[in-house]
Amino acid sequence: MALFTPNLSFKTATFNSSLFILPATRHQRLRLNRCSRSLKLRASVAVESPSTSATEHVGSPELLLEVKDLSAVISESKQPILKGVNLTVREGEVHAVMGKNGSGKSTFVKVLVGHPDYEITGGSVTYKGQDLLEMEPEERAVAGLFMSFQSPVEIPGVSNIDFLNMAYNSRRRKLGQPELGPIEFYGYIAPKLELVNMKVDLLNRNVNEGFSGGEKKRNEILQLAVLGADLAMLDEIDSGLDVDALCDVAKAVNGLRTSKNSVLMITHYLRLLEFITPTYIHIMENGRIVKTGDISIAKVLEKEGYKAISDA
Amino acid sequence: MVISILPPIVHPPTALISQSLSSCLPNLLTPRSKSTPRTSKARVFTQSQTLAILSDPHVLQLAETLEDSLQPSSSPPLPPLQKLRDISSQSLLSTSWPSRKDEPFRFTDTSFIKNSHIEPISPSESQSLASLPVSSDTLLPLHVTILDGYVVDSLSQLSELPDGVFVGGLSSLNSEVTMKRVSEYAPNFQGDLFWLLNGVGAPDIIVVYVPEGCRVESPLHLKYFSLKGSEKDSKILPISNPRVLVLVEKGGEIGIVEEHTGVDETDKCYWANSVMEIVIGNGAKVSHSYIQTQSLDAAHVKWTSVRQESTSIYELTEVSTGGKLSRHNLHVQQLGPDTVTELSTFHLSIGDQIQDLHSKLVMDHPRGVSRQLHKCIVAHSLGQAVFDGNVQVNRDAQQTDAGQLTRSLLLEPRATVNIKPNLQIIADDVKCSHGAAISDLEDDQLFYFQARGIDIETARKALIISFASEVIERFPNTCVQNKVEGLVRKLLDPTPSSR
Repeated sequence: MALFTPNLSFKTATFNSSLFILPATRHQRLRLNRCSRSLKLRASVAVESPSTSATEHVGSPELLLEVKDLSAVISESKQPILKGVNLTVREGEVHAVMGKNGSGKSTFVKVLVGHPDYEITGGSVTYKGQDLLEMEPEERAVAGLFMSFQSPVEIPGVSNIDFLNMAYNSRRRKLGQPELGPIEFYGYIAPKLELVNMKVDLLNRNVNEGFSGGEKKRNEILQLAVLGADLAMLDEIDSGLDVDALCDVAKAVNGLRTSKNSVLMITHYLRLLEFITPTYIHIMENGRIVKTGDISIAKVLEKEGYKAISDA
Repeated sequence: MVISILPPIVHPPTALISQSLSSCLPNLLTPRSKSTPRTSKARVFTQSQTLAILSDPHVLQLAETLEDSLQPSSSPPLPPLQKLRDISSQSLLSTSWPSRKDEPFRFTDTSFIKNSHIEPISPSESQSLASLPVSSDTLLPLHVTILDGYVVDSLSQLSELPDGVFVGGLSSLNSEVTMKRVSEYAPNFQGDLFWLLNGVGAPDIIVVYVPEGCRVESPLHLKYFSLKGSEKDSKILPISNPRVLVLVEKGGEIGIVEEHTGVDETDKCYWANSVMEIVIGNGAKVSHSYIQTQSLDAAHVKWTSVRQESTSIYELTEVSTGGKLSRHNLHVQQLGPDTVTELSTFHLSIGDQIQDLHSKLVMDHPRGVSRQLHKCIVAHSLGQAVFDGNVQVNRDAQQTDAGQLTRSLLLEPRATVNIKPNLQIIADDVKCSHGAAISDLEDDQLFYFQARGIDIETARKALIISFASEVIERFPNTCVQNKVEGLVRKLLDPTPSSR
């Protein structure tokens, strides 16, 4: 079955819920049922299109990521953090996850990229039809799963460009393409710097060492730009950024988007969502997604806080 | 993994020099038998006790062998060399071979040297081998080749030295003024047994003299090669005793690159017992690069003794990877105010070997600054590293800014490191810091690589290299930096990198 998808312009368009498609999976239905009391979003259009269609506007938004009842604990203390998360991401979609501090948002994306601090205790994750949880972190990355770190670690002694080159070549190797030497790689990376409005000298500095908060975030997006991703998960990419930097980062993310790749972002603020318009907003609470909707949720949040959502 | 960090000794500002000072010194003059446990005793500053109460027959025999080996030349040794030999042989009479009971050798077993038959190397042997391809490596334009402790003029290039600068053996020093200065300075420092054996066995003093206000632009490369070596298990250790005196007058400046290495890839047994004394005048600067890549079956014992006058700067960058037993004794004394000392050292133990650094920095004057960074990697289950880092901030050294940091990386089960950072602070208006960490690689950093698609093996290699890079990138000369980095990479990853 192919679904019709509208070509939404995420940069400027206001959200149009009537053009929305809901994935018709069982668990998604369950999730929606559970949350339907407060949902403003309703499935409105789900048009079957002829499979021969090849126009730009008519494609099939393939399932990219399907998370079912995912639960996870902190490896060391066995403290449960995720308690049954369900989420489906299709190609081209933008998802935002919001929620109070400690609700499990960051853990959720860290678990998806295979962070060793967490242990999966239940549920499943399918990425591009594969069992994601069976893959090593580096395999997930090479398969197009990217997470921008909330606080990227400093790596003294490894220059930024060497690091990027290493990562880029890992991917090339996987794809059976020839690796790029330092000079060729510089040619490839130079235009990407402009994209994130980053100074060239940051390439020769050690990875994140002595970077300002803004530089670290830009550097994460630079890595996204260089490595590319089918699903980019941005963990609080807006925290600690001034308006100009936020604008640069958001522009860069939008510039990297196509109808094929998807974004999952974690944020506390409406502002980022005004730059990168989400298809869905999910509210996370106590290790679960308790509500899914459109941008209006974020607006309620901004005005009235999480209490308004929980009480609704 | 075996880890021992001894708690750093930090004296409160008002404390007096306590008994722990004695622990830094070999017990030179105790009139007891060897087996008697050492008593804890305050350091004896005056040498009033009578000598030769206890002689170690083994040491005496070795000293005799060394003395006999010196070529009887037509003229008697020049006064500074004669003085060195006299003082050394006299002190040897009361010095015994260090055992594990002596604090400075608590973690460093020297029995490998003691149980070998030591054979001095005569100059003719090495000169005849001067045609070996050791000259091909011209890393730096100014260089002196020292084969088994003897300067080889034909393999040295010194034509670009500025006027007044002298580099060469004491015997070829013609300037009376320079000779006078050299005589005034050498030797007034007493080290341990190894320092003394070098004093007895050194065939000449290699002098590097930089006159007042003279800045030597190009670094001077001292290439020490150990040519003569015995087969493994032969129990024979040919010994070389190179001795260098660096004298930089007021306002002078020089960069010195010391490189100690064997000549070929095969692992020969030998003992390089090297001493360098450095005297830095007011406002002068010495930038010292030290690279040790001896054979993995060799013993390498090195003394570096530095005296710094006021407002002078001494910077040391060291990378040591070779030797079955490698010991660097580094003593720096600040003799005037506003003096700067920077020590950055990296030791790598990739085999069944010991890498040992015993450093001592004495600050006696106001506003001294010191920065010490020591890093080591032990990448073999039989590998060991030892670090004893002593910093003394004495009563008059107010407003001192002293920092010491040591980090060790243990990469194999049972790899061993013994770390003893110790700060002794008596002045009360000072800023001092120290830190010691022993770890495997940081998980967060490894994951960052993985999250970008880099496999864990490649990530580990990159992080290990980066650990060493922090020191390697402090070599002031880029050629040296690149050479050492290539070398360390090769040692840590013998298979060609696949990245």
